Amino acid sequence: MDFYLTALLQGLCFSAIALGIYISMKIFNIPDITTDGSYTLGGVVTAVLLTNHQPAYVILPAVVLAGATAGALTGIIHTKLKINALLAGILVMTALYSVNLSILGRSNLPLINLPSLFTLINIAADPNQNTFWILAAFVIVITLMMGYLLKTDFGIAMRATGNSESMIRALGVNTDRMKIMGLALANALTALSGYLVAQFQGFADISMGIGIVIVGLGSVIIAETLINWFKITSVWLSLALVLAGAVIFQLVLALTLSAGVDPKLLKIVTAGFVLAIVSLPRLSLLRSS
Amino acid sequence: MKFIKYISAAFLLVALVSCKPKTKSMQVPVVGFVDAFEDATISQARTGFTDALKKNGFSEEKKTVQIEYSNAQGDIPTLTQIVNHFVSDNVDLLATCTTLSTVTALQKTKTIPVFAMVSPTPERMKVLDANGKGPANLLGALEELNYIDTSFTIIPKLLKPKEAKLVIGMIYNQSEPQSADALERIKSLAAKLNVEIIALPLNTSADAQLVTQSLLNKNIDAFFANPDNTVFASFETIQKNCDQKNVPIFTSEAGLVKRGAVAAFGADIYLWGYQAGEQAAQYLKTHKTDGIKAEMVKIRKRVYNPAAAKKYNIIIPPNFEPVK
Repeated sequence: MDFYLTALLQGLCFSAIALGIYISMKIFNIPDITTDGSYTLGGVVTAVLLTNHQPAYVILPAVVLAGATAGALTGIIHTKLKINALLAGILVMTALYSVNLSILGRSNLPLINLPSLFTLINIAADPNQNTFWILAAFVIVITLMMGYLLKTDFGIAMRATGNSESMIRALGVNTDRMKIMGLALANALTALSGYLVAQFQGFADISMGIGIVIVGLGSVIIAETLINWFKITSVWLSLALVLAGAVIFQLVLALTLSAGVDPKLLKIVTAGFVLAIVSLPRLSLLRSS
Repeated sequence: MKFIKYISAAFLLVALVSCKPKTKSMQVPVVGFVDAFEDATISQARTGFTDALKKNGFSEEKKTVQIEYSNAQGDIPTLTQIVNHFVSDNVDLLATCTTLSTVTALQKTKTIPVFAMVSPTPERMKVLDANGKGPANLLGALEELNYIDTSFTIIPKLLKPKEAKLVIGMIYNQSEPQSADALERIKSLAAKLNVEIIALPLNTSADAQLVTQSLLNKNIDAFFANPDNTVFASFETIQKNCDQKNVPIFTSEAGLVKRGAVAAFGADIYLWGYQAGEQAAQYLKTHKTDGIKAEMVKIRKRVYNPAAAKKYNIIIPPNFEPVK
């Protein structure tokens, strides 16, 4: 069971990235590729500040600020320079590689024997269970803040920007600003995932963000499937499902690993499992129609 | 719509067939082998490791050991899960190939011995504690940077510069600690030897063609291939371009000499894995780590490629052996 607990922890670490991708998908209807860079940025900032023995209340805002800056930059390039959103993200992600390497100073920084968020409070004797309680609290706080934000006028305007930009502009909302702020928010969340993962896996690595956008997307698409299946309109439930999506995505990988699948087939089986989850509702819908 | 059902049924079948039966017997020791990515040269370490176990009476065929092999295929979240899986299964020992696997394993367990291969020393990995000691459970065969000196200093001995100063082109991978460290070391060496170094970063094998060409346009006398993952992956591209421009390649790993570099002094990846495997076998016999500690790679070979040496008319010193 211990192994599935660690998989659950990893899923919770990725829940912030899933929330981030969920927002950028809602605003743009396309994934934000900045994710790969801002996730590593979060991990890198965390690692450098931890090795310099900075307290937790300094690290967290620094990570959020770094991620938000990266996201805002993508937003500015997209809206002010009229560059395609996908390309804007790719550009910022590519530039972030150098930024991350400069901040880290080397390609891999282990955080061995250093205090982390997960050793801050001792709730349970078992380190994994302790991590679980701290992570769960952390993720719940983030989700509550997000849910509240999406329900405010600002949040509604932001979501509407994704649904119908011309209508929301006609109502007098500055859609450019909405996009910049939305992307800043999404990438701040992504950086938070990097912050959690770096501490969970115990090192920051320059290539930790490669392909991470897929993890976020997979989680969001699993969630979207469930949201459409049950025709959910509540913001709270949608967010909860996004979190569930992130956990399911990691549990699928864990399941594949513990089934002892030949390493060559690991990825195809993982993809197949996710496909099965996402296509199940469709199959049942087909039968009922 | 039956078609979709058939597809899902077929997939389930494939998934079931691809599963290996997991029989955990108490008598047979279990080895968790962690690989971070797929690479033909790096995978020789695994062959060496299993051969060493076999020689010491631990073979999978004879059911005297169970080697659980997992490969993260370059994906760090998967790598973390693989290590977690082995740790929670409480395998007898972990075998880790390349730096990233070793670092991940050391973070996740302080009790299960980790037999590392194709990995640098604890200082290079930055895993020393406050007292300057490496992790107690880190065993296996490790590598310092000293060997690079020997590999690099043979180049001025074998080559005459086209102009006043010998110019050596080099690529390195920014995403690997040992590669960036090696570059720093070579730069300081080159200053002493009156050699000019032109180094460019190559972080993905996709850029190999471009970066190699750009180096070759700078009129270099020789190419030093620093053995890292991108060089292993794209060596043929590098070699093809260097051959067209008549620039010999030197390196510090025997496997790359087999693939066309002129000469090297360095570890052989197969023997590197073999050395870690011998330590692991000793541990499996006694289940004690007494007398076992992380060692430096023992066997470094001076090898040369006869065909490449002939092409560039390079006279190789007699203490080098031709590569088989």
